[in-house]
Amino acid sequence: MSSFKRKTLSGRANLPQGTRLSPFSTSTVITSTGIPSLDDILGGGLPLSCSLAVLAPDHHSAYGELVQKYFVAQGLASGQKVCIVHDEPLRFAREGIWMAGNTPSTPAQASTAEDADDEKASQHDNKIKIAWRYEQMKKFQTTVSSNSLNDDLCLSFDLTCRIPATALDAARQSAQLIPIDVDIFEDGTGVIEQIEELLSNGTDAHAVRICIPALGSPHWDDMQPPTVLALLHSLRRLLHRHPNACASLSLAPHMCTDTWGGPGWVQKVGWLSDAAISMSAFGANPSLSSLFPSHHGIVQILTLPAPHTILPASDKYSTLRGLSSAAGSMGGSGENNLAFKCMRKRLIFETLHLDLEGGVTERRTTPSSNAMALDGNMVHETMPAAVLATEGRKGSLATVEVEFERSKEVVSDTSTSRAIPDADDSLVPAKPKKPKKKVAFRSERPDLYDF
Amino acid sequence: MQFPAPDLFSSHRLLLITDQLPAPADFLLHRFLHLHLRQSKTAKCFVLAVSESLERWKSVASKANANVTHSESFQFIDVFDQHPPAQNPGEGPLNDISLKYIYDLLSAKLSDSQTHGQIPLVILDDITSLEWLGVSLLDLSRFARALRALCVKMDAVLVVRHHIVTPPEPDALLQHLLQLCTYHIEVRPLASGRSGAVSGEICVHLGPSMKDANEHVISRTSALQYRLTESSAVFFDKGTSTGVL
Repeated sequence: MSSFKRKTLSGRANLPQGTRLSPFSTSTVITSTGIPSLDDILGGGLPLSCSLAVLAPDHHSAYGELVQKYFVAQGLASGQKVCIVHDEPLRFAREGIWMAGNTPSTPAQASTAEDADDEKASQHDNKIKIAWRYEQMKKFQTTVSSNSLNDDLCLSFDLTCRIPATALDAARQSAQLIPIDVDIFEDGTGVIEQIEELLSNGTDAHAVRICIPALGSPHWDDMQPPTVLALLHSLRRLLHRHPNACASLSLAPHMCTDTWGGPGWVQKVGWLSDAAISMSAFGANPSLSSLFPSHHGIVQILTLPAPHTILPASDKYSTLRGLSSAAGSMGGSGENNLAFKCMRKRLIFETLHLDLEGGVTERRTTPSSNAMALDGNMVHETMPAAVLATEGRKGSLATVEVEFERSKEVVSDTSTSRAIPDADDSLVPAKPKKPKKKVAFRSERPDLYDF
Repeated sequence: MQFPAPDLFSSHRLLLITDQLPAPADFLLHRFLHLHLRQSKTAKCFVLAVSESLERWKSVASKANANVTHSESFQFIDVFDQHPPAQNPGEGPLNDISLKYIYDLLSAKLSDSQTHGQIPLVILDDITSLEWLGVSLLDLSRFARALRALCVKMDAVLVVRHHIVTPPEPDALLQHLLQLCTYHIEVRPLASGRSGAVSGEICVHLGPSMKDANEHVISRTSALQYRLTESSAVFFDKGTSTGVL
């Protein structure tokens, strides 16, 4: 036996539950927010002693509170102390989410079942003819389903599962869940004092999560911009003094825009928090929803946490943002645009890409699931020259329609998926409609392409 | 490329650093600190901190191999922790930032630590948060003016950081500060957004009291670009980052 002993990481033994050392900087301890893609955006996770502010300016949805629910669930499930500051904290906790089934699974396992469930596109025929040289490449990924760093840290939560009462009661009994009621305080300073008391009484052994799901909701006394900023600032200072705690807060929707706080308000919030993101939903804007049918809103990153270094960990480690390949001295590409979508069972953050020119119906072999509904209603306007080739229908005549300009009575008014003129109906029996693979070629200069 | 040039730090100067949220200038403050401490063993530096914690200053300094553990060379004054002794302990900590008390404290420390030939460095990080937290504009402009006078008297260099949240329009505090400064160092993000190779750019403008001197000036069109690294930044001229050359 060799006398060579492997040095174990002595730091590991002293880390609180549910946290790990950041691979980027060994002096930073990070913990998961409960959403793997958000962890990726933050550079592995939310570092302890940092505060995260989530702004969700849409009045009709509660994405900010949803992120907080994940935060609370992750804290409870990994054995950390969770402190909820709300006007009815226990009610908020009771509506929390939990893991599906009895055994906690990692997001990687859960996501495979997810994708088959929610994405109809996977039901289509997957055997698209791909040029041979691209067959080996993996499919284009827009999100991180399982964070390789946090595989055992971040548990997968199911939005359809409510937290079981037993788990909640156990947490209350063991003082793992600590509610702080906002109603009894005059304004923000009372809350800060209570949190400070909680943190100074606790031990360093446990990580503490402070969650403020709805800062500025009507139960907080009439909050003015300076009060909110003062609260953010003193919370941040508190966390600097107690580095085993982290905080995540979500502002009430009316407070998330410059119209409430004055010019530069959103930036001020960004400066006074260690990490801040803004999730602007498309709900009120129909043009944006039709432009990006498979997403629910855009994510704007205001600040990224860098508690011990100049460069935020996210710049080097985030795959979603895409800077990591360029963060070295080589490369100079910009970062990806980010969007989020809330599916039936989970909330994910994805990269956002514009569709190919012309929209969804053109040059796409399998339309996305949401886009199919839009497809059927689209009426095509004049096309200078349209060559529609139908593939995948065996036994049908190759129908070529050439329409000249200004012919408004377009046969394909019925629907784009049926390109057969009516005359052919008698010849060809109606086949079960599969969405057809078609490639539409439209040219603005018909003289250029003569065929 | 070296930034800042070493003689930017001659005494009696007020360097105003402005930054924006996509391109924060904390790396510049840390860099000034490290360069100053490296100059000599008896160099002194005072940091009046409003937002960043001592932990971060220490940890970045250790990554950059600068020694800040000596209490003589580096003094960290947390603006919110200083309470004049006459104050009631029952009041909330937010409401009674006494700028006069901090001024007196700094003045005492500066006069204690006067050594010949050594220029102390005073960093105020950042003055905008004080305004956001409720200190009146009048108090702040008087405080800035008083600090400037103190540093001129004590042969120190004063560095003040200010956040710009409404980019094209200068706010009132910025206008006051611009009147006082000798150099205005502006850290701006790239107009095209974040990038992996370039984190932002730096321009240096002259303050109103410096006439005809054109040294150290970097105009916006030929701004110096930088890329953040773990503990500092790498500076290069436009178009000469290593990805391009």
